[in-house]
Amino acid sequence: MEFSHFLQINLASLPYFIPELMLVATLLALIIIDLVMKKPSSSGWLAVVALAGVLITLITVVNQYNLDSRSLFNGMLVLDHFSLFFKVLFLLAASLAILFSMASIELAGRPVGEYFTLLIALVLGMFLMAASTNLIMIYISIELVSISSFVLAAYIKRATRSSEAGLKYAIYGAFSSGLMLYGFSLLYGLTGTLDLYQLANLLSDAVAQNPLVVFLAVLFILAGFGYKIAAVPFHFWAPDVYEGAPTPMTAFFSVGPKAAGFALLIRFFVSGMSQPSLVESTVWQAIGNVNWPQLLAVISAATMTLGNLIALVQNNVKRLLAYSSIAHAGYALMGTVVLTQEGYFATLFYLVAYYLMNMGAFLVVIVFQDLIGSEKIDDYRGLGYRAPLPAVAMGLFLFSLTGLPPTVGFIGKFYLFAALIKAGEQYYWLAVVGVLNSVVSLYYYVKIMKYMFLDRPSEEKATALPVAFGMNIMLIVLMVPILLFGLYWAPLQEFTRNSIQFFTGVF
Amino acid sequence: MSYFDLTFYVFAIGAVVSAGMMVFSRNLIYCAVGLLFALASIAGIYVLLGADFLAATQLLVYVGGILALLLFGIMLSVKFTGVELRTGTLQMLPGLIIVAGLFLLLLRMIYRAEWAVQTPGDMLPTTTTIGKRIMTDLLIPFEIASILLLIALIGAAYMARRERS
Amino acid sequence: MLLHFAAPFIFVIVAAAFIALNLLISRLLQPRVPSAGKNTTYECGEIPIGSSWVQFNIRFYVITLIFVIFDVEIVFLVPWAVVFKDLGWFAFVEVVIFVFILLVGLAYAWRKGDLEWDKPETGKFARDAAPQLFEEVGTERQQTVQEVTL
Repeated sequence: MEFSHFLQINLASLPYFIPELMLVATLLALIIIDLVMKKPSSSGWLAVVALAGVLITLITVVNQYNLDSRSLFNGMLVLDHFSLFFKVLFLLAASLAILFSMASIELAGRPVGEYFTLLIALVLGMFLMAASTNLIMIYISIELVSISSFVLAAYIKRATRSSEAGLKYAIYGAFSSGLMLYGFSLLYGLTGTLDLYQLANLLSDAVAQNPLVVFLAVLFILAGFGYKIAAVPFHFWAPDVYEGAPTPMTAFFSVGPKAAGFALLIRFFVSGMSQPSLVESTVWQAIGNVNWPQLLAVISAATMTLGNLIALVQNNVKRLLAYSSIAHAGYALMGTVVLTQEGYFATLFYLVAYYLMNMGAFLVVIVFQDLIGSEKIDDYRGLGYRAPLPAVAMGLFLFSLTGLPPTVGFIGKFYLFAALIKAGEQYYWLAVVGVLNSVVSLYYYVKIMKYMFLDRPSEEKATALPVAFGMNIMLIVLMVPILLFGLYWAPLQEFTRNSIQFFTGVF
Repeated sequence: MSYFDLTFYVFAIGAVVSAGMMVFSRNLIYCAVGLLFALASIAGIYVLLGADFLAATQLLVYVGGILALLLFGIMLSVKFTGVELRTGTLQMLPGLIIVAGLFLLLLRMIYRAEWAVQTPGDMLPTTTTIGKRIMTDLLIPFEIASILLLIALIGAAYMARRERS
Repeated sequence: MLLHFAAPFIFVIVAAAFIALNLLISRLLQPRVPSAGKNTTYECGEIPIGSSWVQFNIRFYVITLIFVIFDVEIVFLVPWAVVFKDLGWFAFVEVVIFVFILLVGLAYAWRKGDLEWDKPETGKFARDAAPQLFEEVGTERQQTVQEVTL
């Protein structure tokens, strides 16, 4: 085809690409400001610029809600409500992460120019992950997310555990990317296309003759996606990275890239590996006789069980939350198994709930880390008396993580189980596993509460702790929606339900 | 066996043998040299597949760049010569079984599947096609690659820089 | 196209064979009478101290990293250069954006001092860098001199 034809499509796509362009502009502005103002006092300004960039991007993303779904840049990316939902989530997570970083003393007195630059690049990568419909684009966006995360995890260079976190992240990341690429190459070898929609069309013929290839390809590709969402057995990096990375980044990693991984996983399986059911419009069918939903179900069950069981024996809160976040990836995966609109809605709803409660829990960890300089559960003894507000907030976040009413975590889990039950008998077992796991998780969440509230602080440590004003504000800002959406979740439900709108392809 | 096949087997055996040398050698420098030959042999295989630009890239970036980086990385680490580098081998038998199983599975898959094979006609140079495609339908990945490289540069420079106290 | 690669391939084979042959001939012809003295590393006739492996300056690594990044950039630019004439100015703009973004990276590395070589911490004279040290030494020596004369 003619160059001018492609050029026209590329130019016509640009207006729909404004949020990403805003992020790129923020990124370049951060680098240039950092270079021009070489004084360390400029670090506050950098954070403000990063935050402003994220918020302006948020406005441009919200503006895109009145646009129709469309394919951009010759089938590389799509613009649909599904990707917009995740973009909003990423931006909210990133703005909180920037605020956490400003408030925490962990990064005080160190150069932050690179920090915010990498953070914005990470957000850009996640944007592209949520919108990619081409295997090359998927790979490049995953790498953009990965490379920025490696450096952010290892950002505190003097701390050995931070460097260890970066190294482990990088090694596992390289390995899982390699496996994923091999999976892509198998699909390309079968069909000769990199486009997800063409892939779905061509695979339905190819899969009948070669079920083994497609199954292995899915397995290898799941290594890449599973690494991003920290699903068993690709979870090994998570505890060390979560423990070693600067805590604001841990909070962000546990929410942002995980949600991006889910976005990609859902998009890949819906657009590339399944076709709309002929009977009902809200149900999809897996292509051919490759039973990847069953594979996802097994991974989901293994992920939540392993995450919860290992979390039981942790004595470091960051590690405990790392295993808990592995378990939550398992819960959220339950919704992707059933291939119904209901299921995907439940997963997306759960991701929002998880964003609120996990960011909150890590914020409390940051508060206590700044105040008592420790993240050991033992050192949390009596904190309920010394710092009541953060401790109460932690209680709420942990209740929500367990899935107890009247919190948004309960609603999220309810929708997940409802979607499983509705889909029929074949996934009852998964729902049972999920419920049992929730019960197990109650034990270790309550353990933290017990240390904070039932154990008295030792005499010499009985003084009240001065919690910063900004931290209190942020805690309250996170607590309110958890309770609010726990009691009146209709707006969130409607917003999420509207987001299950995939661009369906042009062929 | 044609000359084409013969050349292929030379490169294939070269790749496998040097990869083995990389994995099994106890001296880090030998490992790096093993990697050098493995990468170069794979460049040869690319040529035989008609991917001339990819082969040149392989030589330029991997053999020329990444390997120099690796060698510097080895030479930068203090006192690596006297250290016993090999970590203990754990779970030898289960590992072997899994690897062998996976290998057989992949072999079966490769031979059974009906690949969408494209027979290259006259093996034309590919650079023009690549150039046209990264300017047209692959434009966005191309531009994002520049951001990826920028981030890699900043991240690498930050990590490698000595922290001033 | 394959024939284009035949020449470099033959070149590689001839080069490898040449080296192997030379080593072989030298191996066959040389007299070998090793002794402990001959096997030591040559260090201007002195007895060598320690291993000849030394830690390299970390700057080599940073420079190589930057080199690899721009190496990859070149790989992206070559295909464009080949088709530039056919595609015209819009393709040029596309590449200018690509190069500009990477130039920001270069500016970053430059400004942050990653391209500079490690200079010695002290200035021209050690005395300028740490005068108090010299003073201390000076007073110590004076004391010793006094003690001796006393």
